[in-house]
Amino acid sequence: MLTFDQYLTPDTLEEALWLWRDAPEGTRLIAGATDILPWAREGRAGDVHLPALIDVTKIQELSGYTVEGGRVRLGANVVYQDFLTDETLRRLLPCMPFCSIWFADDQIREQATLAGNLVNASPAADGTPAVLVLNGSIELARLEDGVVERRTLPVAEFIQGPGRTLMERGEIVTAVTMDALDGYGGSFEKVGHRRSLVISVACVAAVVKTDASGRNFEDVRLGLGGVGPMAVRLTDIEERLKGQPISSELIREACASAADRVASRSRVAYRRRVVPGFVEAAIEDALAHAGAPYRGEHQREIINV
Amino acid sequence: MSDGMLRMTVNGRKVAKSAAGRYRLIDFLREELFLTGTKEGCGAGECGTCSVFVDGKLVKSCLMPASKAEGAVIETVEGLASGNDLTPVQRAFHKTGASQCGYCIPGMVMAATSTLRENPDADIEEIKERMGGNICRCTGYTKILEAVELARDILNGKAAPLALEPEPIGESFIGTNVRRIDAPSKVTGKLRYAGDMVFPNMLHMQVLRSPHAHARIVSIDTSAAEALEGVESIITAADVPGTDGFGVFVHDQPIMARDKVRYVGEGIAAVSAESEEIARKALSLIKVEYELLPAVFDAEEAMKEGAVVLHDYAPTNIVKHIPVRKGDIEKGFAEADLVFENTYTTQQVEHAYLEPEAGIGYVDHDGVVTVISPSQNITHHRHMLAGILDLPINKVRCIMSPVGGGFGGKEDMIYQGMLALAAMKTGRPVRLVYTREESITTTAKRHPSRVTLKMGIKNDGTITAVQFKMISDGGAYGMSTEGVMRKAAILSVGPYEYENLQVDTIGVYTNNTPSGAFRTFGGMQAQFATESHLDILAEKLGLDPFEIRRKNMMKAGSLTHTRQRLDTAAIGEVLDVAESFSRWEKGAPTSRGATRGDLGGPDTRQPCTLGARFRKPADNNKKQEVA
Amino acid sequence: MARWKKGRGVAASWYGIARTATIDRAGAWVELDDGGTAKVVTGVTEIGEGILTVLAQVAAEELGVRPEDVTIGDNDTARSPEAAHAGATRQTYMIGNSVALASRDARSKLDAFLANHWGVSESSIKAFNGFIWSEGTNNRITMEEAVDLCKKNGVVPVGSASFTAFGTGLDPVDGSGAPWQTYVFGCQVAEVEVDTLTGEVQVLGMWAVHDVGRVINPRGVEGQIEGGIVQGLGQALMENYELHNGHTTTPSFSKYILPTALDVPQINCRLVQDIDPKSPLGAKGIGEPALVPTAPAIMNAIYDAIGVRISSLPATPEAILEALQRKAEGEVRLAS
Repeated sequence: MLTFDQYLTPDTLEEALWLWRDAPEGTRLIAGATDILPWAREGRAGDVHLPALIDVTKIQELSGYTVEGGRVRLGANVVYQDFLTDETLRRLLPCMPFCSIWFADDQIREQATLAGNLVNASPAADGTPAVLVLNGSIELARLEDGVVERRTLPVAEFIQGPGRTLMERGEIVTAVTMDALDGYGGSFEKVGHRRSLVISVACVAAVVKTDASGRNFEDVRLGLGGVGPMAVRLTDIEERLKGQPISSELIREACASAADRVASRSRVAYRRRVVPGFVEAAIEDALAHAGAPYRGEHQREIINV
Repeated sequence: MSDGMLRMTVNGRKVAKSAAGRYRLIDFLREELFLTGTKEGCGAGECGTCSVFVDGKLVKSCLMPASKAEGAVIETVEGLASGNDLTPVQRAFHKTGASQCGYCIPGMVMAATSTLRENPDADIEEIKERMGGNICRCTGYTKILEAVELARDILNGKAAPLALEPEPIGESFIGTNVRRIDAPSKVTGKLRYAGDMVFPNMLHMQVLRSPHAHARIVSIDTSAAEALEGVESIITAADVPGTDGFGVFVHDQPIMARDKVRYVGEGIAAVSAESEEIARKALSLIKVEYELLPAVFDAEEAMKEGAVVLHDYAPTNIVKHIPVRKGDIEKGFAEADLVFENTYTTQQVEHAYLEPEAGIGYVDHDGVVTVISPSQNITHHRHMLAGILDLPINKVRCIMSPVGGGFGGKEDMIYQGMLALAAMKTGRPVRLVYTREESITTTAKRHPSRVTLKMGIKNDGTITAVQFKMISDGGAYGMSTEGVMRKAAILSVGPYEYENLQVDTIGVYTNNTPSGAFRTFGGMQAQFATESHLDILAEKLGLDPFEIRRKNMMKAGSLTHTRQRLDTAAIGEVLDVAESFSRWEKGAPTSRGATRGDLGGPDTRQPCTLGARFRKPADNNKKQEVA
Repeated sequence: MARWKKGRGVAASWYGIARTATIDRAGAWVELDDGGTAKVVTGVTEIGEGILTVLAQVAAEELGVRPEDVTIGDNDTARSPEAAHAGATRQTYMIGNSVALASRDARSKLDAFLANHWGVSESSIKAFNGFIWSEGTNNRITMEEAVDLCKKNGVVPVGSASFTAFGTGLDPVDGSGAPWQTYVFGCQVAEVEVDTLTGEVQVLGMWAVHDVGRVINPRGVEGQIEGGIVQGLGQALMENYELHNGHTTTPSFSKYILPTALDVPQINCRLVQDIDPKSPLGAKGIGEPALVPTAPAIMNAIYDAIGVRISSLPATPEAILEALQRKAEGEVRLAS
């Protein structure tokens, strides 16, 4: 059971920063709140009493998105459902619709924010590998001598381990910025114990660009999550593929090493078995979504976003 | 909300109510506005029984702080239709028989409504995907999905409104699809389950539970908890006036732990207080001193000489051993061309009814101690409670409230004893509602099993002898274990007639969560082994799976395993119909999936790949009013 | 190797109806009430299986009223006769027959009065759907009129009944005995697709054929079969209450995984009606039997698809891949 003394809903970032700076110890920032209520239950944190919750979702400047200089800047209040319903986001962030559909159900997607998913830094967070392949950065704001100061950190640095980030006391996430990848194909693969609304045992995000012929890799970016303390980019595999002619032999050979990235303490054998083929499947799906003529053996059908 | 009031528009009506800090939107709707059609199934956003519209978007109200909905427009299941009307979605649920226990149904109706509002042309794959966050434990979803497709077609004008009308009556009501008489109350959220009921001056109960699997209770100190403002009373085993023993076959379970605890989650003390929050706070103030005892967690370990003993009356830890004997298995095995033995195991399974345990106890004007609860067996509960409470049997009254899913899990219950005792002690109505976690961790499960099965068979497929042994972990208390072992033994080796068989089923005490009654009562565990084994034998002998079953099946006049003469046995007809109905391609079960010709027919579904909504061009403007 | 492989499996089953190895019993009271309606009081409340509708159909059929005019009293140890517990696939069989007999008892009071009133034989009186008439005559009135007439002549048409099903205990040494009065039989075929990359199994089709005795409500029976199959599928593939030294590691629905709408197969049902000769209705039951053959049918189908035998439930993706790996290693050893 979660109880709290105060529920604060600031209208501006500045107001939120003041409240957050002066908040008593234990106060929590929330956006969608989809994680905090399940957290305060038996088997996890148990009954929790907090002095205050600061709800940032009424802050106008944290909503919506802009596209500028080849980057998409998503306000911290953008929810997962937007990756399904907004055509621009679907086009520019090609792995996000697939990530979003696997992330949860429609009802949770309506509330849950990408920023919140990153800040929680769960090893199984579906958003993290997807944001990593989009070279995501996180934008933080704080008050310094009464003035709003901002800094930007790559997500790869920001997340330090399970539940640990570089966010400092008094800071609020204002945006997530990512590469706008028009012309790329994207994909997201996930396995759990059923088809929906389930925690990842492993997940892979991929974005791929081919040359004009569609027969050579121009760019490949791969993110792997759920199999270690933090999601990781598979840069060795990416480098192996970039500039090469697309073939199943090459993909298979390149992906074999992915098993070595499994660093979790549980289900290790299973994860090691799944991951290489899973990365291959993610690449194949992304290629198909990029319009490449190649068809891989791990594919069932092509769904164009 | 500076005045501590929350303002929303709920089902078209402006409301302003005080907002206690902890309130989630679901609490606000249920406790302040008495809109109990919004159910709490899990409290963690995992089941969808609490789905409501907030500013036009469907959300899980257990995940939303009430203050987040300040100023919002809320639509609950009660607000979908007016008066006694039903929306087309609700009527479709009524028509197809989509509601069973009904506890998930308000959420399902909301999810279906949302689905058709978001995409009026959603195909079946998209409907499933959009409803994927709502769990149903009764229906297998099939009739729910049929209802959503029907409602879609009605709203689209692709089906005539007549399709929602009841089927015409023939010459008899027997054998006709009379619509469920309880459906309207379920699709509208009007039906009140025990946890939805509110009595004036009602107290709220919370239960302190054991953190240890096996321990002696040295002392319980409730003084600090009792001193907490708002705490009315605390009960422990010491308050039980009568003979404290509950159980279906052996009365080995006290209503709260007496002298020792035997599993994690066993109730030790129950607090009745003015609010759930105070009661929970009081739990943390109760001091229990334990002396840890060695524990046993494996049924076969528990049967060994010198194992930890749970109950003094059962020094071997065996709850029940059921033997069944017929013919001479040694002779039978000697006649066999092939003898094969294998082991099969099944896991503990949770009933997972969407309605967690709940109940209200009170003492009426005539001094009758009354408990309202979703009990599957109030007859037995009244008997037991009369002894436990030391009251004449007609001074104990049990009322069965609508059951939000049972599956056997609400037969083996004891919290009614705590409610009765607390009501007697306080003179006030007392309500207890389990959390989902409490329901999962402390109540009985399906018996796990380990079956060793040996069959002798002739080359023509005739089984000559069977030896079947099942060992089953009954957990810390007897509950239904004896009956489960009996049914498992009787049904054990399936609908086949054997001349020679030896069956043993053994239920054992351990310090695990108790096992109890669960749909099939041991039948599925036993027959899982038998039916797997038959396919292995069929492969070895090159027989079709239907053929090996026909060769050995019971017929009219057969003697069952317990040597009961059958007047009639429909298994032959059942097998024939199944073979043709499924378009079964004959052949031995040799792992021939790759070459079969009977796969992928129109009577199968497509494999699920998420993203059904991507298959069509996005058209976000095309939304429609779904009442 | 193709990533996705399909296969089919079959399993049969049987089940006993009503309480095991005991004399089962259930009581009911019935009243033909004003307005041609009816009251049925018996020890039952809906647990979701559809029993209230079944009882309304049975009472309506026997009394000659409409199902929607039947009111069924709540189960209350201080207000209703004992019908024992709501489980053991006994509701339709035990309570259905008890209500049928009590309804006949109430009708006999009305029929006796009307026979006398009309000067016809009791056996000529028939009633259905709110009307009552004497066959071969032009005597035909509404049930509302009939009850009114009957009461004005000092008779309240009430009835009661107890229905019994015999079972004997098992011999403690050899287990011999007749534990149930009647049995049902079933058979299910499963079609699965196994993802050999992830080990995930999807059940694409189920064909369920069950003997249920006389069918009272076909949709209700189908609903029980569909629900039973999906529970069986859950146990077969994903559900697992896990304990570590007595402490569960699956305390919530995020850890204890249940099937959702995306996991369910297309379910095709066919009912076989082997009428029970020992009871007035001839019906048997379906609640529990429906899930007995599901898990073995699925495991047999998995074997058909990929050649591995899962004999320890559940067949999680992990278990499937491990078994595939062992099979591959075995094949390598055989080849070398």
